[in-house]
Amino acid sequence: MRLRRTAAILAARALSFGCKLAGRQGVTMAGKLALKIDPDILRDLAGQVREKIFVVCGTNGKTTTNNLLCSAVESEGKKLVCNHTGSNMLMGVAASFVLAAKWNGKLDADYACIEIDEASTVRVFPHFKPDYMVLTNLFRDQLDRYGEIDITMKLLDQAMKMAPDMKIIVNGDDALSAYLAMESGNEYVTYGISERVFEEQDSHEIREGRFCKRCGGRLAYDFYHYSQIGVYHCPDCGFARPAIDFDASHIDMKQGLEFEVEGRHIAANYRGFYNIYNILAAYSAARTAGLELKNFNKVLENFNPQNGRNEVFHIQGSKVLLNLAKNPAGFNQNISAVMEDEADKDLIIVINDNAQDGTDISWLWDVDFDRFSAESIRSVTVSGIRCQDMRLRLKYVDISSNLVPDVKTAIEQRLRDGCKNLYVLVNYTALYSTHNILKEMEK
Amino acid sequence: MKITIGHLYPDLLNLYGDRGNIQCMKKRCEWRGIESEVREFQLTDDIDFGSLDIVLLGGGSDREQMIVCSRLKAIQKDFRDYVEDNGVVIAVCGGYQLLGHYYDTPEGRIEGLSLVDLCTEQGSPRLISNIVVENDLFEYPVVGFENHGGRTYINENKPFGRVSFGFGNNGGDRQEGVMYKNVIGTYIHGPLLPKNPHVCDLLLRRALERKYGRADLAPLDDSQEREANQYIVNRFVK
Repeated sequence: MRLRRTAAILAARALSFGCKLAGRQGVTMAGKLALKIDPDILRDLAGQVREKIFVVCGTNGKTTTNNLLCSAVESEGKKLVCNHTGSNMLMGVAASFVLAAKWNGKLDADYACIEIDEASTVRVFPHFKPDYMVLTNLFRDQLDRYGEIDITMKLLDQAMKMAPDMKIIVNGDDALSAYLAMESGNEYVTYGISERVFEEQDSHEIREGRFCKRCGGRLAYDFYHYSQIGVYHCPDCGFARPAIDFDASHIDMKQGLEFEVEGRHIAANYRGFYNIYNILAAYSAARTAGLELKNFNKVLENFNPQNGRNEVFHIQGSKVLLNLAKNPAGFNQNISAVMEDEADKDLIIVINDNAQDGTDISWLWDVDFDRFSAESIRSVTVSGIRCQDMRLRLKYVDISSNLVPDVKTAIEQRLRDGCKNLYVLVNYTALYSTHNILKEMEK
Repeated sequence: MKITIGHLYPDLLNLYGDRGNIQCMKKRCEWRGIESEVREFQLTDDIDFGSLDIVLLGGGSDREQMIVCSRLKAIQKDFRDYVEDNGVVIAVCGGYQLLGHYYDTPEGRIEGLSLVDLCTEQGSPRLISNIVVENDLFEYPVVGFENHGGRTYINENKPFGRVSFGFGNNGGDRQEGVMYKNVIGTYIHGPLLPKNPHVCDLLLRRALERKYGRADLAPLDDSQEREANQYIVNRFVK
């Protein structure tokens, strides 16, 4: 038995190492191999975690929330297992444990912080039952891969029922996520923002779950923060936003992000309102697990995951910001973050339609691109496999764009034109390649 | 000249970029100096079909379609009169299924509007693909994306196109969508109209002809539309 475990770990390591040398991400393959050699390996290794296991789920913000949570837990002097790379299906989760284990099958970890693709929870939970699940939000995402949100919700509901002792840390401002937690029978705590932050309420944004999941009636909103995130109740059956345990107040976005929670002042030097939710989710999770988080602002200050989420590069005197934008809710929040920067800027949008992106790109028409017609946008370049569709999307909001299918060429052209402030927004499969291009150019 | 577009139940039937279809019709009117107005109808609103020139019925999830179905009986007669009077309709995905007699699912039958003689049964797996279809009405193919569990059978009706790539109505007879009078029903979203300006202009032309007896649609520079269309054709058919 022990021999098999050692064989599984060594084989996974060798494969992962080999793949890294070949310049490929071998994480998923390594997990698959380890589980094949030793089907019990994930159960056993997860069982060795000394204190608590967190999982992070939700359409948007999983990776950032989980990485923040990892940094927060580590700042308390704890050792942990984490899937930093965002490989979040069963094989990726298995790999993160296996690659963290010693050759003799021992795992030295106080905590595990694991992001899991929502649909994969029902495949992972037979191997281990987490102590906590963070549920960030549920948006429309890659309908061709995941199907309608109703299907994702059914799977998450099953997963929660598989782990009745798992406490759920849920975004109370998302009616869909909150409904799941409240109906699950599991214990839950909530985070959210009760004060109104935005005076203007854009009525055109596509919002999921306008109708009450409990009774089918139309939900009433006091206000929206973005997409369907806001303060809601059902006039018909009484379903309502739950009481908020971790309530962020005094939101200030003039310089970075600042807010208060539990009477503490939190400050981070990033843009994007949605990042308040990511920070708040990680904070609430760690606090729920009883961690003090005395140095949380320090954690935020040092947080630099270098994974293409809000990652800044300095190339030939220009500032280049790379960010992932993979579905309407995420893209709209990205547009807000770009427009918070009032300086002149150039923009490159990269759209691929590989399997991991979702081969259906009709969601581009649910994004509010008209907001890029502002004067501070000097130019827009469209790139990637489906750049023609992106160019057409912009044409129908009267924005003309340059078509440069090759991403590297597009970036080089803009930099050569004397752009000082460049934003590169990409969907999933363009993220790593664009990250690598920018990393190389930064050298 | 003015075109009034009625968008039915956008809160419920908005799964696949239907805003793109609306935006496309609006812009192609605007670029030609034709006035356009979009009226959104919610589930409990009364719909005055007599004031509409184009009706758009989008796609929703099965659950949302069930909710809409409960309301359809109330508008069925007026909607049928509109269709028989050559009113222009573009119905996509779930909206297309609702044009027919019924949609049978394992959870039960969703009664349709019976505006067109067709019916749908749920099958497995879902038919998910880029799609290219041809129709002699159009000088180049119609392209887009399809994602549907339903298998639709259109009986003696004419299809919207012949499938050159993808699945179409039921994955069997190589037909896609339906054309009946001035009604187009189709599984193609993506959304349908921006990459298929010839389809958009057909809808506008028929709406104007019905209202004013003539339609002089000024030509537009469609080079970007055609390049995006051609890309899909080249990638999947040629």
